[in-house]
Amino acid sequence: MDDLQFRRAIYADPNNQDDDAILAQEQDPSKKQFAQEICQLDEKIKQALQIPVPDDLVDKLILRQTLASHQVQKRKTRVHLALAASVAIVGGLVLNFMQFSSAYHNLGDYALAHVYHEQGNIANNASSQVTLASLNQKMAAFDGNFSQSLGKLLWADYCRFDGMKSLHLVYQGKTSPVTVFIVPKNEQLSFTDAFNDKDLFGSSLEFNHSNIIVVGDKNESLGKWQQSISETVSWSI
Amino acid sequence: MMTKQVRYEALVKALHGDLYRYAYWLCHEKQVAEDLVQETFLRAWRALDSLKDEKAAKSWLITILRRENARRFERKRFDMSEYEEASITDTKSVTTEQELENHWLREKISQLPPEYSEPLILQVLGGFSGEDIAAMLDLNKNTVMTRLFRARNQLKEALEAEPIKRGMYNG
Repeated sequence: MDDLQFRRAIYADPNNQDDDAILAQEQDPSKKQFAQEICQLDEKIKQALQIPVPDDLVDKLILRQTLASHQVQKRKTRVHLALAASVAIVGGLVLNFMQFSSAYHNLGDYALAHVYHEQGNIANNASSQVTLASLNQKMAAFDGNFSQSLGKLLWADYCRFDGMKSLHLVYQGKTSPVTVFIVPKNEQLSFTDAFNDKDLFGSSLEFNHSNIIVVGDKNESLGKWQQSISETVSWSI
Repeated sequence: MMTKQVRYEALVKALHGDLYRYAYWLCHEKQVAEDLVQETFLRAWRALDSLKDEKAAKSWLITILRRENARRFERKRFDMSEYEEASITDTKSVTTEQELENHWLREKISQLPPEYSEPLILQVLGGFSGEDIAAMLDLNKNTVMTRLFRARNQLKEALEAEPIKRGMYNG
C-alpha cells in the first residue's frame, strides 16, 4: 500500500481496520503516526459535532405523537359512531317497513282476512238491527247514501280496513252473515273485482272515491247483492 | 396499541439526540432542526409498523429526516440563495481551550460543502459504514469515500493553517 493510498484510506475512514491498512501502519511508524493524528482529528470533529440537544425535545416529541394519535382515535370513534348511527337508522327503517307496510296486497285478501277475524262476533240470526237512518248517518263520512235497505242490517260501524277508516256492515244472509265494506280508495291495495277461498266469495264494486266490497258464503248470489248496492247507493260528489 | 407506544418512546429516547444533531448539521438552525426532528418522528410514528428491524431504525429515521429536509427546500427555495453559513450561537460561554476549539471546528464543518459534510456527519456521529452511507445518500461507495477523504483533508488543512489566528477569539 503506497503512501497516497494509505492516506486516502485513513482520511476516508480513520478507524479503518482493513488488513492492508493495519499492516502498513505496523511496517511504517510514520504511517502509524499519521493515522493517530487523523484519529485525534476525528475525535475533535466528533466533539465539535456533539452540539447540545434541547432538554425538552424528548417530551415535545412524545407530546406531539400523543396528540396526533389522540386525534386519530377521535376520528376513529367518530367514524364508529357514524357507522353505529347508520346501522340504527337502517334497522329502524326496516322495522318500520315490516311493521307498518300492509301484509296484504289486494282488497280481496284483506277483506277475507277481516271477515274471518270477526266471523264469530255476529250470528246470522241475531236480533239486533240497524236502521237505514243510522246507516246513512255513518255513510255520510264517505259522502254516500243508501236509498233503501239492502236487507236486515245486523251491525254497522266504522272499522280499520288495513289502516283506513272504513264502514263495516253485516247483513243477514241466507245461511251466514254477508259482510259489506265501504273502503276509501287507496294505492296500497290493488283492486280485485272478484275473489274467493274455499268458504267465502267476494266481489268489489269500484266507485269514484270508494270501493264497496261484498263478502258472503257460496249460497249468496253476490251478483244480486252487487246489483242492489249499485241501485240503492248514491254518492253526493 | 400499548406496545406501539412503548416502541415509539424507546425510539425517541434512544435516537432523538443523534437525529437532532444530524438535522442541525443539515440545516444549521436550531429551530429548524427541532422542527425537522418533530416532523420526522411524527412520520415515523405513523409508519412505525413498517419498521421491522429495530437495528435499521437509525438509518430509517435519517432517511425520513432527509426527505423532510428536501421538502423544506421545495417549500421555500429562497432560503438557499443567501444562506448565512455558520451562524452558530453557542449559549455556553467559551472559556476552556477545548470549547474554543470545538467552536472553531464547528464553524469549519459548517463551511464545508454539504456534499462533504453530510457523509462525514453520518460517519462520525451516526457511526455508519461507507456502505450504509452510500445506501442512504444514494451514491456509490467510492464517491462516499472520496467525499469523506476530502472533508477530513479540508478540515485538517484548515486546522493546520489556523492556530496563529485562533488566539484572536480571546480578544
